[in-house]
Amino acid sequence: MTPSPATLREDGAREALRDVIDPELGYNIVDLGLVYGIAIEGGVIDVTMTMTTPGCPAQDYIVGGVERRLAEEPGVTGVFVSVVWEPTWSPRCMSAAAKAHFRIREDAP
Amino acid sequence: MIPTSDRLSRWTPAIFVCALVNFGFGLALSVSGFAWPLAPASAPASLAMVHTLTIGWLTLLMFGALFQFVPVITARALPSQIWPLATLIGVESGLVSMIGGFLALGRGGAAALLLPAGGGLVTLAVLLGAGALLVPLIAKRPAPLSARFVLAGLGFLLLTVLLGLAFAVALTVPALGPALGPGLAVLLGDGLGDHVLAGIGGWFTLTAIGVSYELLPMFMLAPHDRGALGVAVLVSGAGGFFVAFGAGLGGIISPGGGVWLAEQIGRLAIVLALGLYLLDVARLYRSRRRQQIELHNRAAIGAFVALGLAVLLALGAVAFGHLTALAPTLVLLLLLGWLSGLGVTQLYKIVAFLAWLSRYGSQLGRHPVPRVQDLVNEPGSRGVFALYFASVAIAALAAMLGWPEVTRAALALTLLAVALLAREYLRAWRAHYARAAKPAPDRPLPIPPPQGARR
Repeated sequence: MTPSPATLREDGAREALRDVIDPELGYNIVDLGLVYGIAIEGGVIDVTMTMTTPGCPAQDYIVGGVERRLAEEPGVTGVFVSVVWEPTWSPRCMSAAAKAHFRIREDAP
Repeated sequence: MIPTSDRLSRWTPAIFVCALVNFGFGLALSVSGFAWPLAPASAPASLAMVHTLTIGWLTLLMFGALFQFVPVITARALPSQIWPLATLIGVESGLVSMIGGFLALGRGGAAALLLPAGGGLVTLAVLLGAGALLVPLIAKRPAPLSARFVLAGLGFLLLTVLLGLAFAVALTVPALGPALGPGLAVLLGDGLGDHVLAGIGGWFTLTAIGVSYELLPMFMLAPHDRGALGVAVLVSGAGGFFVAFGAGLGGIISPGGGVWLAEQIGRLAIVLALGLYLLDVARLYRSRRRQQIELHNRAAIGAFVALGLAVLLALGAVAFGHLTALAPTLVLLLLLGWLSGLGVTQLYKIVAFLAWLSRYGSQLGRHPVPRVQDLVNEPGSRGVFALYFASVAIAALAAMLGWPEVTRAALALTLLAVALLAREYLRAWRAHYARAAKPAPDRPLPIPPPQGARR
């Protein structure tokens, strides 16, 4: 099946966000599972994401990093980031690659 | 000051710098021979040394950490960034005045008034700092476990400084004690144990437990929820310290069998709380999801061992009636091993984290940036932490055996370790190691490449 243009744009946005790291864990926010959703309409991107802990001191910087990185993508006219706390993030949200990096078992609680 | 977002405490780095300078100065007073162990514990220079360590180092360290982490715990900002600055200025200037007052003790004259004046200034400053922390702490409903520990700790801080202020007045104006009535006069003479209990136990230890319950799970990816065990530590610890403190005061003013029994119950509750806490910390380390622990949390095990040793030693000392003789060893294990040990290990991470935020935070998303762990040199720092905890262990053992020169020599090594750690903090703050790892401006720094990622 050929992916639709919208899917391609979302994948592209996710790929771009791999350039943004959580500074404490030192790993990109996509593979950490911090990005819950990306919605694209025209040139406007809405990102729904979370942090590893509520009130994280790095929150403003990570949100700023997401905005700056996506704004560099061609055709993007606006980036809006919503930080949510439900569902609560846990290491279970990580990709297999991130779990392997932190030596976290796949079946970890 | 660091220009950053509302989530950062702007004055925390400056508070840490002042705290570390005070730590070095306090140890230097001891190593130089002016203060304990070569001078009596009650000598003016020894009192100056102890208060430099407890007020100048540990209290400032706690406030610096709390100004940063209470907003994290509560997800609410401090009411103002001016309050932490005022707290720093008040505590530091009050401490300088107190040291002058201690050194003037017994000489009479106006200089002696420096002690109560400095004590008053410190009291006002910590009230201001506690007020800044209470605003977000009280607003948070329901309060998380770590916040409840901090609230209890702040309550004991208030008791500690008020009792300390009473001592300062009584030491400066000896005639005042009897004039206030026989009960209060005895309290001012014999209340030192309660002052120490409220300070080291209620303020420092409860607060350190609360902060550790936030930092350890965050950095090791362990479960935050400490369950019934965490609640038991809080209830038993805060309750035990309060009962022991109250019974201690009551016993001084009006001795009796009931008061003695309450004091023993309080002490048992404290031992139970600390034992349960250490069990919970062991459980926390075992349940971590991050298998490779960073150096600051590996080194922190030394602090937990020191706390465990202090609890066992205190039990033995009480059982065999040697509490007074072993008090210096206990204070060394608790102040330098447990509290300062936890402090210097966690600072290793906190300073690097704050440095990253101030230096690289606004660059995130524009181009590759280092990780927080790229700002420190863990292999090079392992030996320094080993030197710190080994020297404290030797100092405590020598104090127990009554070898003051060995204690002094060991504390010189502790001072050396603190100086070397301060150099590592400074290097982290200046991104010394990250720069060293960046040979060309356009070369990406060592961000770990996830599988399938573009880098």
